[in-house]
Amino acid sequence: MGQQESIPSTATDLCEADLPSDISFPLEIRLHGRGGQGGVTCAKLIAAIYAQMGLNVQTFGDYGAERSGAPIRAFTRVDRDPIKNRNKVYRPDHLLVLDAALLGPPVLDGVAAGAVILINSAERVEKYVEPFADYRFGIIDATGIAREHGIGTSSVVIINTTLVGAYAKLLGLPLEVLEDVYTKMGLSEDLQAAKEAYLKVRICPADTTVSGLAVGGELATSLPPVKPQTEHSEDIPTKLKTGNWSTQLPGYEDYLAPCNHACPAGNDVVGFIQALKTSGADAAAEVLLRTQALPSVCGRVCPAPCMHECNRKQMDGAVNNRSLERWISDHSRFRLQVEKPEKVLSLAVVGGGPAGLSAAYQLALRGHRVCIFEKAEKLGGVLRYGIPVYRLPEEALERDLERILSLGIRSQCDHPVDQAEMERLHRQYDAVIVSKGFSDAYTLAAAGETLDGIEQGLDFLARSREAGSEARLSGDVVVIGGGNTAIDCARSALRSGASSVKLVYRRSRDEMPAIDEEIEDAMREGVQLLALRQPVAFRGVGQVAGIVLAEVELGEADADGRRRPLVTERTTELNCSTVLLALGQENELGLLPEAWQVRNARVWCAEDPLNIWLTGDCSTAEGTVTHAIGNGRLTAMVALAALANTSTVASLSGTESTPTQLQQGSLVAPAQVRFSHFPILAPHQDRHQALENYRNSFEEVNLGLSGQEEAERCFSCGRCTQCDTCLVYCPDGVISRSDDGYRIDEEYCKGCGICVAECPRRAMDLNDKGLSDGC
Amino acid sequence: MAVELISANHAAALAATLAGRANRTARGFCSGVYPITPSTECMEYLCGQEIEKGKVVRADSEHNAMGICIGASASGARSFTTTCSNGLAYMIENCVAAAGYRLPIVMSIANRTLGPPWNIWADHGDSLLMRDLGWLQFYSADIQQVFDTVLCAFRLAEDPRVMMPALCCMDGFILSHTMAQVEVPSQEQVDRCLPPTDIPHRLDKSAHTLGQMETPHQSVVHRAQHHQAMLNARQVYAEVQDSFEEIFGRRPADPLVSYRTEDAETLIVSMGTLGVTAERVVDLLREQGQSVGSVRVRMFRPMLDEELRKIFAGKKRIAVLDRDISIGFGGVLWGEVRGFADPSAIVQNYMVGVAGGDVRPEHMINLLAELEQANESGAPRIVEVA
Repeated sequence: MGQQESIPSTATDLCEADLPSDISFPLEIRLHGRGGQGGVTCAKLIAAIYAQMGLNVQTFGDYGAERSGAPIRAFTRVDRDPIKNRNKVYRPDHLLVLDAALLGPPVLDGVAAGAVILINSAERVEKYVEPFADYRFGIIDATGIAREHGIGTSSVVIINTTLVGAYAKLLGLPLEVLEDVYTKMGLSEDLQAAKEAYLKVRICPADTTVSGLAVGGELATSLPPVKPQTEHSEDIPTKLKTGNWSTQLPGYEDYLAPCNHACPAGNDVVGFIQALKTSGADAAAEVLLRTQALPSVCGRVCPAPCMHECNRKQMDGAVNNRSLERWISDHSRFRLQVEKPEKVLSLAVVGGGPAGLSAAYQLALRGHRVCIFEKAEKLGGVLRYGIPVYRLPEEALERDLERILSLGIRSQCDHPVDQAEMERLHRQYDAVIVSKGFSDAYTLAAAGETLDGIEQGLDFLARSREAGSEARLSGDVVVIGGGNTAIDCARSALRSGASSVKLVYRRSRDEMPAIDEEIEDAMREGVQLLALRQPVAFRGVGQVAGIVLAEVELGEADADGRRRPLVTERTTELNCSTVLLALGQENELGLLPEAWQVRNARVWCAEDPLNIWLTGDCSTAEGTVTHAIGNGRLTAMVALAALANTSTVASLSGTESTPTQLQQGSLVAPAQVRFSHFPILAPHQDRHQALENYRNSFEEVNLGLSGQEEAERCFSCGRCTQCDTCLVYCPDGVISRSDDGYRIDEEYCKGCGICVAECPRRAMDLNDKGLSDGC
Repeated sequence: MAVELISANHAAALAATLAGRANRTARGFCSGVYPITPSTECMEYLCGQEIEKGKVVRADSEHNAMGICIGASASGARSFTTTCSNGLAYMIENCVAAAGYRLPIVMSIANRTLGPPWNIWADHGDSLLMRDLGWLQFYSADIQQVFDTVLCAFRLAEDPRVMMPALCCMDGFILSHTMAQVEVPSQEQVDRCLPPTDIPHRLDKSAHTLGQMETPHQSVVHRAQHHQAMLNARQVYAEVQDSFEEIFGRRPADPLVSYRTEDAETLIVSMGTLGVTAERVVDLLREQGQSVGSVRVRMFRPMLDEELRKIFAGKKRIAVLDRDISIGFGGVLWGEVRGFADPSAIVQNYMVGVAGGDVRPEHMINLLAELEQANESGAPRIVEVA
């Protein structure tokens, strides 16, 4: 021992001491995995382990098709001598399979009997015993272990470091080598997972009693024969079915646009705007009229939550949906055909306001006989008596009413319904839909409220509607309230001769429930806003002469998110000659006999449901025309479903879904729209009457759009417009036009997802192809 | 000396980094880079390095990357870049200028097929586009050689007797993306190996123009100087090898790597990693009693004509393997070297591994078996390798 002068390096010592005796050199290792699993790094890690033991190594990936999910290969070669092999590995001594779903002839190719195989699989080891009898093999659920240790992300688990732990055990390599290498490569955090795999790997020795060729001993695919030199002129068509590389496939899907989701009437906003864009007003009306009984009305007075939610608002301004609806109703005479029902029902509708009209319209469209009972002289309810004509001209309302009544709906006006009449209707009709709207208006209960000159705003509006500017006011007018009625009162007062109009609201401007544009119009016309003021008393002798206002501070947020007004002791006084109250209305259902109760918008007598439904504000108190229209339509559907004895849910599926039904992730978010695809284009604004015409005139102020170009601005969120972007961007040209859109050639689609990423409007998505962990 | 497990791209970038730092006492280091597969990793590594008095500029194209190198080098800095394939094709207009200006820029190429048809794998067609421009050209066969060649290329390119840009080629993926153990010297060793860059015509000393308009006679003189300087590189490279060996204790590979050629009747001539496979084939066939040898042309420019003539002398059969094709002619290497063989020799060209095929020993053995049957030199032959 002492005679030996030169001592081999410690690395060589380690190699001799620690290497299992059954490893022979050159050693060739091949890995199969999918892009993103970390296969190339895994091969490098294995190389580093052998390098640590003093051996020469070489490691490389098989590059070209790498992308997430595509099958990939990686190689490691180990030898005592310098490695002169520059080829890929065709006859691996060790085979590592990172995804068991890949197991098949190409993976096992060239793996001769006696080879060592390691498979990442959660399956039981027994599953592999028979096919792999010729091999020494190990099974480890590396994905499960790596996931538990949080290696990678929840969707992409990186298993390489875990798998190497199992490999070390399978080979009989000492755990200490692993520790050294992981520390050296900055992977110490993954060492616990590797150790767990080291302990958990299940190993089956090669069954030497089985004599026969190993599954992959033939070298069938990966090592093509060396061709005779005379045969190299054959043309090579692309036979490579690259569709096999992918785990995901793109597809065209409809997602819910935020406008459609927001529309209280349940209108297909994207549908009618796109129809307007591509095919004109009649085509748009065909879509719109399915859900909308009163497009001329809604196109003027809707608060348009669709515009608040519009994804284009995040780019260059919301699409002017409301005025497009108006454009369609003003420019199309299209009528939907009445359906023929299996059985014609006879239904009564109590109340001819927006909810009742909408319900009656939907019922009549489906071929049923409908009669509307209205207590006023004419149909329309709040539309006729509560909204001033400068916002909703008579002709617009009449146009909608004419279309509704043309479906054969009968109406009895001047026909109030009391309890006795209600019972009669219940007996005589198959069903009754009650849409009586709100009842009496709220009062303030402040001192002096009975003085002359203090009037309910709705009464003033009704008078004003009848008499126009003949319903004269004079002097200083104060309007109390912050909703649309208050704004309507204020603007009507200006038109009726008031010398000044002040709007008193107890919260701040931001919290006013009135439509924003209406508030702006009112201010522009000269209405003064006194926000954060609460009237506490009225002054005057016989006739109101002044109003005492207390200052208000805003406290904690209410359940509805608005901050609660806190009235202070600080007051001011304001002279006035007229006060209009616009504080909202009560909801009372005195027309129902006392034995009847309302549950879920249906009337019950004891435990028996009656064929009477409530709809609109008297049921929901949502307070806008559009909500009333939407609820009227849905109530009609619910009633028909109940009468036909079918499930309401089923009958409400598809295009008639309620606005509240929403699946997780189905709503198109602004981030899912590719703004860069669309040129910046400011919204087309409504035209307005010139300012000097406002006073003393009840002519319509808003003249709507001058054309339909605004429809071009709609992104068509979540719905394919056949814009060809997917087809243009597909790098492999596998997308082609088909009769109803596009066809994707699944044999060649690599699932790269570029079409989905490039789709400007999220009308596409990548779907899992459902590859499973199996042999 | 530290041993690291790194890829050839990484090795080239590491050598450039060490060379860059070595010039910190002179006019520093500046590199313009632009990514392209499979060279990207080289520039990525370089971008991540702290180099004293050094700057790596991420350019907006290969053309501008070389423009930046030209500017850096013309002002006296050491300069390096990397690209390949169509990226090199786009850069070439400026590469012509770099050579004409006689600027010692070093470039690493991970050889890749020129497209279309698009193909990312190894083929020497890209760097061979540069054949006649006045750039030195080296082809490496393993990762250590890539590292050593980049260091030697700086020394050689900056030598006043040579003073011209140098191309260091590695087979894309086969080397660029393969990791193996590489001996990496210390900065102090590299400092000794690479003296400070001194470009005599740099633009800091006096007001003068580089590459100005010339008469025919002036230009032909400059061409002759450039040509002579390139020929000088053969002798200078031998000196660089000696110096390198003295400092690092390891001799960089020869310009021509001959393997068992002396008593051989048949030779395989190739460049790049094909040459390593050829050496394995030589061993296999020698075991079967065939007298075969291999010559790997590592230094392609300048071409070592006299040395090749000596090696080829008396050989009966020569198989020239080209991982390239000069369309309408045949292999570029074959075209260059066939004239060095004896008039009676059968010189057969095989274009093999074109566009990145994995050339295995079996392929070469088949080719040699065919060559043994031949009575005369045939037309160049394209061999399909999957």
